[in-house]
Amino acid sequence: MKTIISVINLTKSYGSIKAVDGLNLEIAEGDFFGFLGPNGAGKTTTIRMLTGIIEPDDGKITIAGNIYPNLKPILNMIGVVPESRGFYEWMTAKEYLLFFAQLYNIPCPHKKIDELLGKVNLSERKNSAIATFSRGMKQRLGLARALVNDPKILFLDEPTLGLDPQGQEEIQNLLKQLNKNGVTIFLSSHQLNEVSNLCSRVAIINKGRLVAQGTISELQKKTNLAGSLKDIFLALTNNNHV
Amino acid sequence: MFRNIWLKELKEQLYTWKGTLWLVISSLVFSLISYLLLTDKELSLLDQTEMMWMLAKVIIGIGLLIISIDASSIISNEFEKETAESLFLSPIKMKDFVLGKLLASLSMWFFIFIVSIPYILVTSAGTKLFFPFLIYVFLLGTIGVLGFIMLIFAISLLFRSSKNTLTTSLIILLALAVPSLFSTTLKNNSFANVLSKVNPVDNIFSSLDNVLVDYQTSLLQNGQFIFPLVLFCLIAFIFLVYASKRFKRAGVVKHE
Repeated sequence: MKTIISVINLTKSYGSIKAVDGLNLEIAEGDFFGFLGPNGAGKTTTIRMLTGIIEPDDGKITIAGNIYPNLKPILNMIGVVPESRGFYEWMTAKEYLLFFAQLYNIPCPHKKIDELLGKVNLSERKNSAIATFSRGMKQRLGLARALVNDPKILFLDEPTLGLDPQGQEEIQNLLKQLNKNGVTIFLSSHQLNEVSNLCSRVAIINKGRLVAQGTISELQKKTNLAGSLKDIFLALTNNNHV
Repeated sequence: MFRNIWLKELKEQLYTWKGTLWLVISSLVFSLISYLLLTDKELSLLDQTEMMWMLAKVIIGIGLLIISIDASSIISNEFEKETAESLFLSPIKMKDFVLGKLLASLSMWFFIFIVSIPYILVTSAGTKLFFPFLIYVFLLGTIGVLGFIMLIFAISLLFRSSKNTLTTSLIILLALAVPSLFSTTLKNNSFANVLSKVNPVDNIFSSLDNVLVDYQTSLLQNGQFIFPLVLFCLIAFIFLVYASKRFKRAGVVKHE
């Protein structure tokens, strides 16, 4: 399959701390790619570099044929649920999505927004101010915003954080559906069950370095562990902070 | 695209009561000043044109102060409330972002000006100076406010902190406003004279004096005051362009 995201020797330091250290990744079009690592491993920094929000110190990023720093053309084809959960709290859910739909010049934005609010199960609260939303509802609204431009690539940084089990299930089903429709998904998550249920391929990083990459069965072979993704993750990161 | 940013900011001003509160405060200050000018035993002895000049100074002074405070947070808030990341992940252009915010701040000045119209009308009743008064408060206020907004936005893009931007903006405003309070004797000093000629706030007040007290109402007669104001706007614009160029998408998020 055609490679849609390619990362070669990606490096980023904050002062003396190497947040990402010589990272290499290759993600094929249509992949559901899981990106795992303990806290502070460099997952968010990697996503921010891939989306052009943080400048890498070194390395080469290619997304859909566009090489960093010329990533502007990808803005219309990516959707991002970032780690920072800033919302215009005074807006209603509908106004919020409408604002972003207008930034993307989406034709017939109202129809699109109603459809998205339905997908993330927020239709009943579409006219409520975001300030009144729970954390989980804001997560779902953030996902709806990321989908407003029908992205080809979706970057998700802990998308189910703060969601109840039903909410997680709904989002996971939505993501499965999106992937089935051809959307490449880059999922950073601490929920190892979620990653093993959803992702076709997985990369594990620790202290900014890639420690393993492949399908779960490939990782099982590599670690000689027949257990769950959690066992593999712990074995590779030698860290219990999952 | 700037229209979306402009409308968002205008709605925010209304939804969060921030804008309405500023307008109520402006109205209260204008009411108090007009009341004192018309009823206070000593102030009411002033010539009517002097009263109008004082009110004009208060309208523009309040406008500059409120806009300085308001504009200090309008850009920085996007970074402080972590909304900038989502915003800059959309295909928004920097010039649209800045222009939308600039129009929102400028709209706030227009609202303050509209609130001031009844006070201008009452104070200038019985003179032929209502229209020159109205036009010059609008013209000088708009040029002055525009220059200050651009200056503050440039500072805001460099600092990305409301507190630092607000402190710097108020210091600049104060530093420019204080010399206008100096006595004429003090201004006779050649250095003070040069400072007065390049100071935008001083030029606004001098032009108002020229129009309302000396009845020099044509633009030509006020060119010597308006030109430095336009120059100030030009310098502020260049500074804003520089700050915008320095701003990169890769840098929206502060290093952790």
